[in-house]
Amino acid sequence: MGLSNASEDLSSEMEVDAFRRLFPLRYFERHLAESIRPDGRPLGKARETSIFLGAVASANGSALVKIGSTTMLTAIKMEVMTPSLESPDEGCLAIDFHMPPICSPIVRPGRPAEASPVVSKQLSDTISSSRMIDLKELSLVGGKAAWMAYLNAAFSIMQDIYCLDADGALFDAALISAVAALSHLQIPAVAMNDDGKIVLVSGEDGQKPVNKEKRKLTLRSIPFSLTCILHKNYILADPTAEEESIMETHVTIVLDTSGQLISLYKPGGPALAYTSAIQDCVGLTGQRVKELKSYLDKENSAMEVVV
Amino acid sequence: MAGKGGATPATYSPSPTTNRKKKPPIFKEDWVRPDGRGFHQCRPAFFRTGAVNAASGSAYAEFGNTKVIVSVFGPRESKKAMMYSDIGRLNCNVSFTTFATPIRGQGSDHKEYCAMLHKALEGAIILETFPKTTVDVFALVLESSGSDLPVVISCASLALADAGIMMYDIVASVSVSCFNKNLVIDPILEEEIGQDGSLMITCMPSRYEITQLTVTGEWSTTKINEGMQLCLDACAKLAKIMRSCLKEVASDSQE
Repeated sequence: MGLSNASEDLSSEMEVDAFRRLFPLRYFERHLAESIRPDGRPLGKARETSIFLGAVASANGSALVKIGSTTMLTAIKMEVMTPSLESPDEGCLAIDFHMPPICSPIVRPGRPAEASPVVSKQLSDTISSSRMIDLKELSLVGGKAAWMAYLNAAFSIMQDIYCLDADGALFDAALISAVAALSHLQIPAVAMNDDGKIVLVSGEDGQKPVNKEKRKLTLRSIPFSLTCILHKNYILADPTAEEESIMETHVTIVLDTSGQLISLYKPGGPALAYTSAIQDCVGLTGQRVKELKSYLDKENSAMEVVV
Repeated sequence: MAGKGGATPATYSPSPTTNRKKKPPIFKEDWVRPDGRGFHQCRPAFFRTGAVNAASGSAYAEFGNTKVIVSVFGPRESKKAMMYSDIGRLNCNVSFTTFATPIRGQGSDHKEYCAMLHKALEGAIILETFPKTTVDVFALVLESSGSDLPVVISCASLALADAGIMMYDIVASVSVSCFNKNLVIDPILEEEIGQDGSLMITCMPSRYEITQLTVTGEWSTTKINEGMQLCLDACAKLAKIMRSCLKEVASDSQE
């Protein structure tokens, strides 16, 4: 009796796995008809999200973000540059998104993954469109000291985002990670040495201080995003890699904390994006923004307590 | 807008001072290591398997401030361009993040690390168990703080175990630096810069076999023997830590 029961259970489990592998679309649609997903989530719910600031000790700002299994590590290094002639009183922000081969079976060493430049461009556009950062704040011009008149320098924020585990919704995780790292960023105290170069303040003679202490960057309205899948009459929020590969219509909506639409990205797909569907996605994204804002505030408060 | 985003002007990092690049003072009797360790004491080691969900096997390792993450994929189909092979293939890749070193983007070109990782692991993996297929080992150094390659090798063997690849034994690796006539184990970045020579051992501790031995600089025979013994002892201790890490995962999954 025990043996037959065990074999029955095992065979039914194997049947489910086989069905999932052979007929993935029908497998998912069976779940959708019951308003649930294979991992047990309701349709409009995002996966568990965690934010950890200060993951990289040598960086000026860093953050590790996980949404479900998707993991993003962001680190920021501050560098010094000569501003361009068009905008002499502004610094700049450069964002690079990397998908190393450790994060997914389909990424190979050598040439960058297909998704990498797409996400990179999306991130740059989103952060510049949202005007989250005032680039003038990065300038090192305009001090009161007389010798400062000769100074022509500005900070450059070099931000690198590494995907450590790719399990869907890469842009969402990358954006949260980038934003969290910028909120953790400490602009270092720098001085000008005798050669006219900018160096870190180390208390040596011959240094003229440019800014006297470390300070945080002022962030204006912060953008957050949510990716949804449109499939027939269903809307699935925060898809996994498996869901993304099976269902083809993705919509990514970015809102900032003041409720303004920053970006809407829909790269093709067979399902038509009716107004009602887009409005539903915007609604889901609005809820997600509030949720993520509270996570980020909580994490920043914890950091301040520690410091 | 496009103009700003376009060509990024040349930048440089505001490093503390150029003077610090000088060689640290020559070894003296009262010399103390920068992080307060004894000469024959390794940095604290931390291992965790299952760091990357998308991989067949993965592991994360920390040795002090050196942080490494390794993913294993496969055994999977080899590329069609490759000739038939009745034993399995091993493919290794080691890369660094741009922020791994104090100066952004510098010192991350270690192309020989891929070949060295391959040689270190090849002797320990039973390649006959997966003919015609390839096992890919990808390593990413998140933070570099000295002795990166030994950490990568140890972490990679743990990732292979996590993936269920059959091996003769786990592979542990430790390196030692030579200052004049004195040996310092598991050097950090500052110590590596000023070393006279280095010696790295990769071994299978249970079988007491060495899969790789790398020596740079000038070493006398007695010094090599001393260094090797130092490393082998450290590898045995490291292997215990690695085994306990694997056992933890096994017991957790049983529960």
